[in-house]
Amino acid sequence: MSKGRPKGARALLKSQTREQILEAEVSWISSLLLFFCTVYSLLRMDVLWVFFGITALSLYVLPIVTMRNPFKALPWEMAILLSAPLILHLAARSHALNEHLHWWDDFTSVAFAFSLATIGFLLTVELQMYTQVKMNRAFAVFFVIMFTLAIAGFWQIGEFVGDKVYGTNIQGDNTAVMTTLVWNLIGGIIMGIVYDLYLRAMSERRRTALGFKYLHEVPRWKNG
Amino acid sequence: MEERLKLLSRGMQAAMVGVAVAGIVTHNLTWVPAALFSLFVSVIPGLVRRDLGIVLPIELNFWIVLALFLHVVGGFSGFYDHVPGWDHVTHLISASLIGALGFVAVVTLDKYVDSISLPRPFLAFFIVMFSMAFGVLWEFMEFANDQLAGTHLQYNLDDTMIDLMFDGFGGFFVASLGAYYLIHTPHEHFVRALNVDEAKERITEGIAKRKKAS
Repeated sequence: MSKGRPKGARALLKSQTREQILEAEVSWISSLLLFFCTVYSLLRMDVLWVFFGITALSLYVLPIVTMRNPFKALPWEMAILLSAPLILHLAARSHALNEHLHWWDDFTSVAFAFSLATIGFLLTVELQMYTQVKMNRAFAVFFVIMFTLAIAGFWQIGEFVGDKVYGTNIQGDNTAVMTTLVWNLIGGIIMGIVYDLYLRAMSERRRTALGFKYLHEVPRWKNG
Repeated sequence: MEERLKLLSRGMQAAMVGVAVAGIVTHNLTWVPAALFSLFVSVIPGLVRRDLGIVLPIELNFWIVLALFLHVVGGFSGFYDHVPGWDHVTHLISASLIGALGFVAVVTLDKYVDSISLPRPFLAFFIVMFSMAFGVLWEFMEFANDQLAGTHLQYNLDDTMIDLMFDGFGGFFVASLGAYYLIHTPHEHFVRALNVDEAKERITEGIAKRKKAS
């Protein structure tokens, strides 16, 4: 373990500012929500969403476990973005909301895209932390948008197969599917832009804490 | 082998010209723009080679012409409607083509951009994602065409989904092929064969010339 790290839980807590503690708390609470929603989906045998929840949770837990430091949790805004779609998905079953808000379905599609993009972004970050992969910001943003769209496509195939196997009709008709995918793409592009700005504006402390530093290099094509 | 592929490519290009001419002669104009556009796309590798000096592998060149040829000729002759599975075969071929082009682009990025480094497993993953994303974009195009121009490119949901599945298969196919290829040929070798170094010099020269002129 690193030399400067204080020993014991109390010392660790003391070494953090109040702001950092609050941030970590919000982040942990969102991840707990994500965890319970995943368990709930598991009980309902909602296979695709269980898969989603497990992926999101493992990406969340990985830095905390490998660095053995609960304050290495993801920034709270990202944790909320990760857990929001699963909660919204459970809420999307609610007939009251579906009947009264005609845009509810499209809204959940966008939220889903947000979280796919967040997963894609986490993937770029954690791949750089734990493997040989190196990306610059432009490539990372492109990867996030492409990843969102591709996973959305695979997701629709998954729903299609699920419908065929269980004889349900979750997907709806062709127009509904295409509308969902278009909203997914729009959500992906928005998130791509947001992450670009996010990385530019991120404070030095967070950047080093989360291994975002590689994403900040400027590509130098000519000198390459 | 190379000569034969080249000859076949020329033959398929001739067939596309044939489709354009036949369409104009018989006043069956639906597929004429697609034929002309595909013809244009099929000569782009040649133009790139002449102007920039980038040499695509001959097999890839052939694959590009084949995908365009099957699309245009199949569309013109009504194979999309009458031959079962035609749609899916063209999807498989074009998805693997997109995957292959993505592969070339990404390997080049890996070699030439300092701040990007992409190991082989990630390359394979990237290519699957890339093909799928472009497959979805293609479906968007068909969907928009149906909505705006009132055509009937997407038959029903089953058809669209099976298209996407074939796009995925194409991606997996190219990803495994590319990974296998890179085990036997190092990245540098592959990129050197593309002749990007010369292209880079030419581009820098061109920019310098333009700066002088202005």
